[in-house]
Amino acid sequence: MGELSSATPTETLDVLGRVCPYPLVLTKKAIEKLPSGAILKVICDAPASAEDSIPRFAEKQGFKFESVRNEGYWELYIQKK
Amino acid sequence: MATTKLAFIVKSLPYKTEASRLALTHAIASQTVEIYLEDGDLVEPLLAFVGDGVLNCLRNQKAMQHYGITSLEQHLKNALLLDLRVLICKEDVERFGLSEDALIMDAEDIGGETRASIAPFNEIMKEMDSSDHLLFF
Repeated sequence: MGELSSATPTETLDVLGRVCPYPLVLTKKAIEKLPSGAILKVICDAPASAEDSIPRFAEKQGFKFESVRNEGYWELYIQKK
Repeated sequence: MATTKLAFIVKSLPYKTEASRLALTHAIASQTVEIYLEDGDLVEPLLAFVGDGVLNCLRNQKAMQHYGITSLEQHLKNALLLDLRVLICKEDVERFGLSEDALIMDAEDIGGETRASIAPFNEIMKEMDSSDHLLFF
């Protein structure tokens, strides 16, 4: 397990069943409300969001990011800068 | 670094056309394009319902019952859930004899915090004038 995925997340966002662009926009909204250093865990089953848009968003913002792929869904960990 | 203002103006009736559904989809999707822009560039979408388009905002739409398709009501609530600015033309609301109670003004039932506003047309015009791109549906 990585550094973020082994830590206790500050908040968990469940976007299972939601398709692009909702997972990304809801992730952006959730992380805006968190303080610096907080970890957001996103549970997502939309491949385009989990493998492209959310990681791209995290990278662009300079946030630490980890992804754990499970059977049919992803756990995404984002630490706010 | 720049902010691009987009105004999605819905003037079509809610059903038997894809126009308003497309407007909502594009307005919601516009909030994600920042990841593809230069650092610091932002997109600020506005969704405004004018003319017949205000009927898209009616509560208790029975789209599945009448047309066998999903309702625009949930779509509009999703826009509010995602903090989109939504304006509904005051004069047209009055023209149809509607009150705020008959309209989707919030998405509290799905955790939304942003409310739609009923705004005079001249206010919507000001928003349109200050927008970089106008998209009519």
